[in-house]
Amino acid sequence: MLELFGITKRYDGITAVDALSLRIEPGGIFGLLGPNGAGKTTTIRMIMGVIEPDEGEVRVFGEPFSERIKDSIGYLPEERGLYRKMKILDHLVFLGEIKGVPARVARARGRKWLERLDLGGWADKTVESLSKGMQQKVQFIATVLHEPKLVLLDEPFTGLDPINTEIFKEIIEELQQDGRAVVLSTHVMEQVEKLCKRICLINKGRKILEGSLADIKMQFGQNVVTLRFSGNPAHLERHPGVEHVGTFGQELTVTLAAGTDTNLFLRHALEGGKVEKFEIGEMSLHDIFIAKVKAEGGEVHDEAAQGR
Amino acid sequence: MKLLKVAKREYLDRVRKKSFLIGTILGPVLMAGWILVPGLLMKNAPEGRTVLAVVDITRSLYAGFEASLDDTLSDGSRMFVLRNVPATGDQLDGVKKGLSAEVAAGAIEGYIVFPPDMVEKGTATYFGKKVSNIRTLERIENALNETVVAKRLAVQGLEYAKVTEMLRRVKVETVQVLKGGEKAGGFEQTFLTSFVFIMILYMTILLWGIAVQRSIIEEKNNRVVEVLLSSLKPFDLMAGKIMGVGAVGLTQYAIWGIFAIGISSYALSSGQFAQFVSFEPATIAFFVLFFVLGFLFYSTMFAGIGAICNTDQEAQQLQTPISMCLMVTFLIPLAVMQNPDGTFSTVLSLIPFFAPILMFMRINILMPPAWQIALSVAILLASIYIAGVLSAKIFRVGILMYGKRPDLREVFKWLKRA
Repeated sequence: MLELFGITKRYDGITAVDALSLRIEPGGIFGLLGPNGAGKTTTIRMIMGVIEPDEGEVRVFGEPFSERIKDSIGYLPEERGLYRKMKILDHLVFLGEIKGVPARVARARGRKWLERLDLGGWADKTVESLSKGMQQKVQFIATVLHEPKLVLLDEPFTGLDPINTEIFKEIIEELQQDGRAVVLSTHVMEQVEKLCKRICLINKGRKILEGSLADIKMQFGQNVVTLRFSGNPAHLERHPGVEHVGTFGQELTVTLAAGTDTNLFLRHALEGGKVEKFEIGEMSLHDIFIAKVKAEGGEVHDEAAQGR
Repeated sequence: MKLLKVAKREYLDRVRKKSFLIGTILGPVLMAGWILVPGLLMKNAPEGRTVLAVVDITRSLYAGFEASLDDTLSDGSRMFVLRNVPATGDQLDGVKKGLSAEVAAGAIEGYIVFPPDMVEKGTATYFGKKVSNIRTLERIENALNETVVAKRLAVQGLEYAKVTEMLRRVKVETVQVLKGGEKAGGFEQTFLTSFVFIMILYMTILLWGIAVQRSIIEEKNNRVVEVLLSSLKPFDLMAGKIMGVGAVGLTQYAIWGIFAIGISSYALSSGQFAQFVSFEPATIAFFVLFFVLGFLFYSTMFAGIGAICNTDQEAQQLQTPISMCLMVTFLIPLAVMQNPDGTFSTVLSLIPFFAPILMFMRINILMPPAWQIALSVAILLASIYIAGVLSAKIFRVGILMYGKRPDLREVFKWLKRA
C-alpha cells in the first residue's frame, strides 16, 4: 500500500532522513516511532508529497506519487492548521471539497463526526472559539472526512486529555479495521505500544529497527523481572542467569539472560530473603529503543533517555 | 476544480469581512473628499473685514485703488476698509514707524506703501504681520495693477475700459474627436477623469496584490498551508488565492460602479460637477481589463514574495522594489499627458510594469492604434505567464520553509532546480 525506497532529505547539509525504506500494508496500525528530531515529520511530509525527497522514491498504492493520490490520503499534521475565523462546519466542508468530496456529502459527514466527537453544538462557531483539544478534534475529522485509504497521523495525541486520547485510540482502531492503512508517528512510545501491529524505530533519520511488535519483543526477549525483596541484592547476582540488577525506588529490576528459567530464579531469590512482589515483564519499546541505539554506539537523544 | 474551491473560500472569507464593507464604502468617500475638499475650502474660506492703511506718496493713486478694491462681504459692506495716510517721501520713515506699531497692536492688518515712482516702476510694498494670505495679496495686487495701468493709459490719453475690451484674449475651446462623435470638454476634464481612474487603478492593484501576499504569509504562520498542500498542488493554492482576491477587487469595482451611476445621474440632473462624470463605456471596459491584467501581474509576484517570507516586515523589504515600479508609473503620467503618442509614452506603455496604468491612460487621452493596445495586452499576458511560472516554482519550495528567509542566491538555486 505504501512503499518507501531509500528516501533521503537534506536541509542545509543536515540529513533529516537518510535512505529510509519501508513497506506498509493495509490493515493494522503502523507505528513510526522515534525521539523528537528523528525525521518522522519529514518522512510523513515526503509521503504526503508536501515536500519532495532529494533521493529515493515514494510509491503509494503501487504507483509513484501523483496529485491524484492526495485524495486517497488523510493527513493530520503535527501542528494544527485551521483558519481561525472560519465556522467549523464550513471549514470541514472546504477541506472535504479540496479532497474531492462534494459539498453536500462533506456537510453530512462533517455533522456526523462532530456529533460523535461531542462537538455537535459547535458546528456554527468559529475555530478560534474552540479550545486546543477541540481544534485537534476538528483537525482529526478533516483528516478522515474524505474516507482515505491511507491515514497519516503525526503526533495525534498531543494536547488531548486522557478521555479524548482513549476516544481517539478507539477511532484509530476502527479506521484500520476497514482495511485502511494507518501510519501513526509519535515520540511517546508507551502510548502506541498496545495500538501498533508493526513499528519502525528511527533515530537521526535512520531506521534502527522495523518489524511486527510481537517479533521485536521476542527478539529483545531478555526477561526483566521486577521484585520487592527484603534480602541483600548481592544474593540475586549470584544466580548464573542474572545479567544486571538495578535499583528502582523500593524495587529491583533484574535483567535475565535469554533462556533463563524464571521459576528457578524465583526459587533462588526465596533462599535469600522475603519476596513481596515478583513480576515478569518484557522490555518496553522505550527500553528497546535505548538498548538498540546504545548497541550501535549511538547517542540517545536527551528526551528519549528521559522517556518523554 | 480544486483551484476554484480555494478561490471561492478566499472570496467569501473576504467579502464577508466588515473591513471589506468599510473599505468599499470609505474608499469613494475619501476619494471624493480628497478631490472636492480643497476646492470647497478655497471657495468657502472664512470671510472677514480687512483693515489696511495706504501710504500714497504719489498722491494720485489712492482713489482709483479704493474704487478698484471693491469686494464686499455677504452683508454688502466693504471687505477691505482702507485708510489714506498722506505723507511725503521725507516723512515716510516716521509714518512707517507709527503704522508698524498699529500692525503690531492689531489695529490694522497691514499697510501698503506706493513709492513716488510707482506708476513708472510698478512696484509697491506691503507690510503686514501675515504675508502668506495669498488670496488677500492677490486681490490687492490685481486692484493695484488695474489702478496703475489705468493711470498709465490715461497719460497716453487712452481709456482703460476700452483698452481692456480690445485686449480681451481669444479663447480656444477643445473638443476631442472620437470615432463616430465628438466629446466636449478639454484638458481639465480629461486630466481629472484620467487622474481619478489611474489613482483607483494604482491603489486597487497595490492593495489587493499585497492582500494576496499577506494572506499567504498568514497561512504559512498558522500552518494551514501544510493541510492545504496535502490536498492541493502548490500552483492551485497560489492561483486560487489570486483568483479569489481578484474577484473581491472586481466586486468592489461593481459596488463603486453602482455608486458612481447613482451619483452621476444626480450630478447630471443637478448640473453640478458634470465634468467629473462624463466618460465612455469603453473607458470602463479598458479600466477593468487593465485592472485584471495589472492585478494578475503584480499579485503573482507578491505571491512569490509571500512564499519565502515569514513576516510582513520581511516581505516589505522584498516588495518595495516592485511596488516602486507601480509608484513610478504614477509619477510619469504628466509627461505622457503632454505627448500621449510620442516614442517615450509608447515604449513605456508597453513595458509590463507600467502598462496597466500608462496604456489605460493613453487610451483615455488619445486612443492609441489598436495594435499598440493589443501588443501591450499580449506583453502583459506573457509577463503574467512568466511571473506565474517563476512564482509557482518559488512557491513550491518556499511555502514550507519556516525560519530563516532564504537569500536571493538560494531563490535562484530553487528556480534552476525546479
